[in-house]
Amino acid sequence: MERAIKEEKRVFMTGNEVVAWGALAAEADIMYGYPITPQNEVMHYWTRLAPKHGRKFLQTEDELSAGFTTIGGVLAGRRAFTATAGPGNILLQEPVSMAEMMRLPMVMAIMQRGGPSTATVIYSQQEVNLTTSGGNGEALRIVYSTATHQELYDYTIKAFNAAWKYRFPTFILGDGYQAKMREPLVMYNPQDKGVEMAASEPFVGKEGKFGEGREPAHLRNAFSMEEELYEVVMEHIQDYNKITPQIVEYVSLGCEEADLVIVAHGIVSRAAVAAQEKLRREGYRVGFFRPITLRPFPVRALRKVCKSTSKFLVVESAFGQLARLVKEALFGLEAEMDEIFMPGLGITSEKIIGHVKKKSELKV
Amino acid sequence: MKRLAKVVIAGEGGQGVQSIADILAEAGNEEGLEALYIPNFGIEQRGGVSVAFVQIADNLIGSPKFEKGDVVVALSDRAVNRVKCHVGANTIFVYDNSLIEIAELPEKTDDYIEEEGECRPVEKEDQPVSLPDKIGKVIAVPATDIAKKELHPRVFNVIILGAVVEAARIVGEDSIKIAIENNLGKKFDKNPELRELNFRALQKGIDIVKEALVRS
Repeated sequence: MERAIKEEKRVFMTGNEVVAWGALAAEADIMYGYPITPQNEVMHYWTRLAPKHGRKFLQTEDELSAGFTTIGGVLAGRRAFTATAGPGNILLQEPVSMAEMMRLPMVMAIMQRGGPSTATVIYSQQEVNLTTSGGNGEALRIVYSTATHQELYDYTIKAFNAAWKYRFPTFILGDGYQAKMREPLVMYNPQDKGVEMAASEPFVGKEGKFGEGREPAHLRNAFSMEEELYEVVMEHIQDYNKITPQIVEYVSLGCEEADLVIVAHGIVSRAAVAAQEKLRREGYRVGFFRPITLRPFPVRALRKVCKSTSKFLVVESAFGQLARLVKEALFGLEAEMDEIFMPGLGITSEKIIGHVKKKSELKV
Repeated sequence: MKRLAKVVIAGEGGQGVQSIADILAEAGNEEGLEALYIPNFGIEQRGGVSVAFVQIADNLIGSPKFEKGDVVVALSDRAVNRVKCHVGANTIFVYDNSLIEIAELPEKTDDYIEEEGECRPVEKEDQPVSLPDKIGKVIAVPATDIAKKELHPRVFNVIILGAVVEAARIVGEDSIKIAIENNLGKKFDKNPELRELNFRALQKGIDIVKEALVRS
C-alpha cells in the first residue's frame, strides 16, 4: 500500500480530521459510516482523503448497518472502521457484540456527546459505561481514551494494530471537544517510527481448499449448547486476560509521595495534570493517575498507587462512570474516594484546584 | 518564564468570531507554540451568541475551556453578558463601542484577586449590558465605524483581530500575517488589494490597543 504520509510534519487541525489521517496512516482500507455530530467530519475528511489514496467509503442507513458492514469488511480481510457518537454508539453495540463473539478486529472511533438520548451534540464523558461494557457478553474489547490530538493520531494507528494482532474489537474513545478543537500534532508514517503493523487477512474466502493445507474458517456467533458456548467464551476470556498486561496503559505522576491522587481520563486528564502541577508548586502533596486503556483497566497499577496513597479524587464529565471502574479496580483495599462529577460539562483546572484547596489539611 | 494566553471572543453569528479565533490560534502554531482553539458549537450555530476559546502557550494546554480570560472580546450586547463571567481582575476586556453601549464602566482594580468561580453563562434577552466590578482594563475599539468609514465593512473582524493580538501579546505580527495568508491567501491572489486592506485593518486594531495600553 502506498504510504499516505510521506514525511513527518507538524500540522494544526481538528480532532475529527486527525482520526481520518490516523486511519489513513494505519493503512485502513475502508470506512463505513452514518453521520452524527460531533463525529461527522471524520467521515467528511475520510471521503476527501480516501479517493486520493485508493481507499474506500460506504455510507450506510444507520449505525447498526455501519457496524455490520464494518464486520463485512473485516471478514473480507480489509482494515475497516467506523466512527460514531451518542445514540449511534448505542446502535453500534450490537455489531460489536458480534465482533466480540467471532473475535473480529473491528475498529471504532467514538466522539462522546451529551447524554442520555439526543441530549447535546457538544461533549461529555458519558459513554464510558457503554463503550467499555455495552453489548451482551463479557465486554472483551480494547478501549483507548485519548487526551490530545497527538494521542488521537497515535492511538488510531495503535487501535488498528491492536485489533488485528489480538482480534478483539477496539475503540478510540474521544469526545466532542477533541473532535471539534484544533491544536498542533506531528503526523508521521508509523513504519518510519518502527511501529510494527499487524497484518490483516481474510476470515472467509481464503485461498485453497480446507482440509488440504488449511483449516476451515469456522466463525460462529450462535450455539445450540450451553457447554459449547461456555468453552468458547472461557477461551476468549483467557486470551483477553493473557494479553491484558501487553495492552494496559496508564500515566502516573507523583503518586508515591502524595496525600491525594487525582484520577481522570481523556480530555479531563489535561485539566487534572495542570491542576496537579499547580497544586504541587503551591505545596500540596497531590498525585495524578490516568488510565489510557479504560478496558482493560490498569488494575494492578492503580492498586499499587493505593498502597502508598489511599485518598482519591475522581474527576469526570459524567456521573461516576470512571469512578465505577476505579472502585472495581480497588475492591478489597481500604480507600477514600472524593469526586467531581459534571455530566456533559467541561471541567477546568481551576475547578479542580478550588475543590482540592477547600480540603486545607492537604497543605504541607 | 512560562507563557500562556487565554482569549475568549464572542459575537453574533456572521461577525467572523470563529474566523479570527482560528487565525489567532493558527498564528500561535506558526510560532511553534502550543495552540488550542475550540468553538462553542451548540445550538448557537442557528442564531445566538457565537463564542470561541483560544489558548496559546509554551507547554501543552490543559482543558480547552477555562474560567477567566486574559483577553475577553465582546462584539454585541448579548455577547457582553454571555462572556462577562470570563472577565476577571486581570482581564483586558475589548468591545466594539460603535455597537455596544455600556452604561457604567467599572473602576480599574490593581489588587490581584485569584478567582475560582465557575462560569455559567445565562442567555437572557432583556438583560442590561453590564460588566463585573473587578476588571483589569477595558478597551473600546470602534471597529465597525472605522471599517465603514476608513476601510471596508467586511474587515471589521480583522480590526478586532489586531486588537486581540496586541492585547494578548503572545504572537508576533509576522505569524498573524502568515495565518491570515493561510486562510485568505486564495482570495488575495485573485484580488491583491484585499491583502493590503486586511493588513491595514490588522494594523489599525493593533494601534488602537497599543495607544490605550500606553495611556493607562
